[in-house]
Amino acid sequence: MESQYKTIHPAKYLRDHFASNIRPDGREFMSFRPVSVCVGSITKADGSALVKIGNTTVVCGIKAELACPKAESPDCGFIVPNVELAPLSSPKFRPGPPSEESQCISKLIEKILINSEAIDLKSLCIHKDKLAWVLYCDIISLDYDGSVIDACTTSLMAALKILTLPTVDYTPETGSIKIDKKNRIHIPLKQLAICTTFAIFDNQLLITDPTEDEEKHSLSTINIVFNEDDMCFVHKSGGIPVSQNLFSTCIIKAKNHGNQVRKLILAAVNCKT
Amino acid sequence: MTENEYSLRFLNCELNYLSVTDGSAIFMQGDTAVIAGVYGPVESKLHKMFYNKANVEASFRPMKGPPSVNDRLMESYIKDVCEASLITSLYPASSISVNIQELEDCGGLLASVINASCLALINSGLAMKFIFAAVCCMIDKESENVIIDPNMKQLNNAKAAFTCVFDNLNKDIICCQTSGRFTEKELLKSIEMCRETVQTIFTFYRDIVTKYATAI
Repeated sequence: MESQYKTIHPAKYLRDHFASNIRPDGREFMSFRPVSVCVGSITKADGSALVKIGNTTVVCGIKAELACPKAESPDCGFIVPNVELAPLSSPKFRPGPPSEESQCISKLIEKILINSEAIDLKSLCIHKDKLAWVLYCDIISLDYDGSVIDACTTSLMAALKILTLPTVDYTPETGSIKIDKKNRIHIPLKQLAICTTFAIFDNQLLITDPTEDEEKHSLSTINIVFNEDDMCFVHKSGGIPVSQNLFSTCIIKAKNHGNQVRKLILAAVNCKT
Repeated sequence: MTENEYSLRFLNCELNYLSVTDGSAIFMQGDTAVIAGVYGPVESKLHKMFYNKANVEASFRPMKGPPSVNDRLMESYIKDVCEASLITSLYPASSISVNIQELEDCGGLLASVINASCLALINSGLAMKFIFAAVCCMIDKESENVIIDPNMKQLNNAKAAFTCVFDNLNKDIICCQTSGRFTEKELLKSIEMCRETVQTIFTFYRDIVTKYATAI
């Protein structure tokens, strides 16, 4: 009976649950789904991580390539994050060129990465004006069930944390490049940025970590990204106006949740190494 | 607080700037200038049609070159803010498109774009729940002071920059975008200062609309 009701009238289905102070998956309004992190799942990649938040599954792989730095920033490398919302993960997505949503998420992830100052681009430079690393961070969604930006950020941070790069011997006079794949070095990751998603419904009802169904019917979503001791990104693209009080509640909640996920990533990385 | 801290750059606007659009505005905030044009409600394309509400589309054209991935995010801000303020259920199965052309960016582009689109929506006469206005502010790297509506030169010394969009009813936050690193206190203080400034823009809207009211 319940599943038919959900299909016929999804909005009322949600509303009725909220009226009895519970969410369709049995959670309370301000509780989170379990998060799991598995690092180094792709052995061929230079760094990789698989993150699950409830059903939402995202995998991130980083491959490093060599390139010539830009003339305007000769001592900086590059990081190119790219989010692919695979048609496998949700019926919303079709095969073909990246949709508007995935372009937006890619851009958001890039902004989070730059704003958090997690990686110093200068540490990716091998020889000034001649040779630097490009990190292609490909993030693919395998199961799309809401809060996908959280999952993408977490997987990217975990993958960057265990990233190792081969040592390169570069002779500027002859331009010869020798790559030692056995001898790998870590890139220092200065910050672990963790994103938390909130959804807002009628009467300023706030819920954390929404699923896809909740996100679809919500009136607005907020993303808040925390570094270890400061904030680095707040994103609310529109929708219903929210009061300052509700905003402060989100910030406090995001900070606590950020700390927990950060511990989880560090634990996962420590197990691996 | 000195008076200077709360002051915006010089605002200037002309409505009905374009002849074909249903509503248009050219808006200048300091040296940042944008043109906004609204078409709607017009017939929607079949695959984008909603049976119970209008489909709101936004397109942003940068000053030079074709629109790129970077502008998609700008479009999503414009679309979501406009959609929130419009009563879309009054125009079922139709489409409303908001088009923005950047003319010059001297800091606070997103704020100017949002303000221009609000003026164009007012000019178009589409039904709205509330009107909105955006204020940009930044935190200085050295003095850690909050500067409202900074120009490009000031933004180069910014530790963090925020753009907040408020509605005119309760002055609640519709949209918030940040860059750089900052603490919770700095964020809340900056939002509060933006909120106190935003009334200036609403008053400006009123003046502009009154000025053109006889001509319409």
